Amino acid sequence: MGHFSLSVVGRDRPGIVAEVSRVLLELGCNIEDSTCTILSGQFAMILVIAHREFSSVADIDPSFEPVRKGMGLTVSVHALKDEEVTREKRFTGRPHIISVYGADRPGIVHSVARELARCKVNITDLNTQVVGAQDRPVYVMVLEVDIPEGVDMKELEREFDKIRKELSVSISVRPIEALEL
Amino acid sequence: MAVLPIRVFPDPVLQEKSAPVEGVTAEVSAFIDDLVETMRSSPGGVGIAAPQVGEPKRIVVVDVSAHRRGGQEQNHGLLVLVNPEILAMGGKQLVREGCMSVPDYTANVQRAQWVLVDALDRHGNRKIIESLGFEAVAIQHEMDHLDGILFLDRVVSIKNDLFRRKKYR
Repeated sequence: MGHFSLSVVGRDRPGIVAEVSRVLLELGCNIEDSTCTILSGQFAMILVIAHREFSSVADIDPSFEPVRKGMGLTVSVHALKDEEVTREKRFTGRPHIISVYGADRPGIVHSVARELARCKVNITDLNTQVVGAQDRPVYVMVLEVDIPEGVDMKELEREFDKIRKELSVSISVRPIEALEL
Repeated sequence: MAVLPIRVFPDPVLQEKSAPVEGVTAEVSAFIDDLVETMRSSPGGVGIAAPQVGEPKRIVVVDVSAHRRGGQEQNHGLLVLVNPEILAMGGKQLVREGCMSVPDYTANVQRAQWVLVDALDRHGNRKIIESLGFEAVAIQHEMDHLDGILFLDRVVSIKNDLFRRKKYR
């Protein structure tokens, strides 16, 4: 079983998923995992696909030529090692949501991400957007993170406090408390 | 008492409408004990409905008293609801829910803030229960199971409300 990552980006319009999935079906590829969204008018797809026999990018990539030429989409395929592909999303820490917002300025994402990396906190999901009036843009970032046991939350708060002052942003950290039903 | 195996989607029993219970017999009572034990055996489990163990009967069990947040709110401890009916509901709240029968996702689901429920208790006595907050969410989620509704049916937005589960305990 060969696994590949496939990414497709291009101007959004109806029919992109239909076309990409048609090529995959004809190749005999399975879509194992995927996420697709629209970012500033660009449709972006990232998929993990599998094929019973294929092991090389060359087995797949040429079939996307019509999609590239016909629809003007950027398509890239990479081979994944089997051991890199896991179905389980196993994390060992405590899930938290961090929301950050403030007047748009350089460095918001990096400052927060740098502190998280330093504390070995894994970012498991991240969305950023610029919202608000054109002359007063507001930057909004929402992260889902996995905070390992042993991280000093007070220290993380102190570091976030510095970022709050330095960049005049609001940062809130709260545990995700799902009800298990 | 026994821990019963959990039915996982796409098991068709999860999309069936469950039948009312005729009376709380010794057999039903023993089944309720098993439901409670099954709920307690699941890490963080605060509720379960009979169809989740493959029995399409109108029985749900809820206990949020051990939950980090639910336990701090007003709650009834262990609640056994047989043939429950919602008499009234009000307010709105958005709560992240996970379901033993849909293990790969969690989702933010809009629920009523409070509910007034009419049900038989585990001795077959009719009771009216008023519930608020997390406990009210648990009751609504479990009662949905009795009508074959999963929390995925109530998700409003994929981008904002549906989350791939990041953690198996």
